[in-house]
Amino acid sequence: MADGRLPILRPEGNVPESPRPHSGLGEEAAVPVLLTRREDAINWFEEKVSGALGWARANSLFQYPFVTACCGMEYMSVMCGRYDLARFGAEFPRFTPRQADLLMIVGTINVKQSPVLLRVYEQMTEPKWVMAFGVCASSGGFYDNYATVQGADRIIPVDVYVPGCPPRPEQVLDGLKILQEKIQTQRHTLHSVERSPELREEKKRSFLGKLLAR
Amino acid sequence: MAQALVDLVREGFKEAVLSSHSHRGDEVVVLRREAVQDVCRFLKDGEARIQLLRDIACVDLLTYDTEMTGGGALASNEVPAYDLAKKAPREPRFQLAYNLYSVVRKQSLRLRVELRSDDVKVPTVTGVWRTADWWERYIFDMFGIEFIGHPNLTRILMYPEFQGYPLRKDYPTRKRQPLVAELDFPDLVRGPGPGPGGAGVPMSQTHVGRKNVDPTTYD
Repeated sequence: MADGRLPILRPEGNVPESPRPHSGLGEEAAVPVLLTRREDAINWFEEKVSGALGWARANSLFQYPFVTACCGMEYMSVMCGRYDLARFGAEFPRFTPRQADLLMIVGTINVKQSPVLLRVYEQMTEPKWVMAFGVCASSGGFYDNYATVQGADRIIPVDVYVPGCPPRPEQVLDGLKILQEKIQTQRHTLHSVERSPELREEKKRSFLGKLLAR
Repeated sequence: MAQALVDLVREGFKEAVLSSHSHRGDEVVVLRREAVQDVCRFLKDGEARIQLLRDIACVDLLTYDTEMTGGGALASNEVPAYDLAKKAPREPRFQLAYNLYSVVRKQSLRLRVELRSDDVKVPTVTGVWRTADWWERYIFDMFGIEFIGHPNLTRILMYPEFQGYPLRKDYPTRKRQPLVAELDFPDLVRGPGPGPGGAGVPMSQTHVGRKNVDPTTYD
């Protein structure tokens, strides 16, 4: 990297719900170009770092179970010995959203609850993922009435939907594997501060940025 | 079996009892609404010994004569299935049922009160059974029946911002009153956007393509 550039890793790719940061590369990114040694090196670096980050994140999901209804029984079954969600790294339910990075919405979300769910989601720190556990959380299920939110995705973005009323534990495990795949294949691209004008303020604020800008 | 209870009420309150009958083994006494408190107090403290109020139920009979299923004009967010402007309500529109049980006598009794839609008020029985407190709040929440003398008549299930009474038959079935702004995006099942045929309309109705049905001409 040239002097005065602050390298920053950013997620890219299969994160449809996050606002997609401008890559800074513009139209030319779509056009195949001859890679220079520098770009080649950056690609290699990105690949390695993204793989390591994805591996670390996908295999240590800290979940926050937002259990509202009968799906909770199936959630307990998933967590217990026979099906054992811990095998996939999602072992430790946290009981505050601030320490979790996977929000499991287990059960019906009604309108009265929707501000609570939104608040819980907003309290979670990035990176965060959401699983809709069961049809009620996915689409409202058969509660097509005045009191029920027609799917948690009306309130907050959802990454993986597990159907079923309630879903079998195998379905939940499958949903978790899909989510892990999604996390694992998430690509982080290297940006420099000069290429992203919206980050200049951040650069000024940070100690490292001040040091490099000198 | 519980005919003895009916006789007790009939003896004690000759002019308050409008009628009484037995429906599938349940004894029903239809009362004038002014007498509800007195009759309940009499049943609890007198020789009937009815200590248990099982529940209070309410029925909206608006569509009782004409429509058994009520499924026609569902595909609308705003238009009620039964527009009161076009269709005069059946009177008396509401029925309240007090399901009582005497643990000592092992007999049950149902008190029924009929209410006209222009005057949905009934005296409270919270002074007789404490459990009536939440039942009456529930019926106020769902049907808008006003219980005169209730200590805290507020919504119990729905949120305070909720408008209208959702279990009334003229409440639009598709109507939603979200508390937070809901995201609207294309959906495989429900289709994009609100409105008839859009989001929130189940497949069973979208494939028929029915629009709002005029309640007077509804088949």
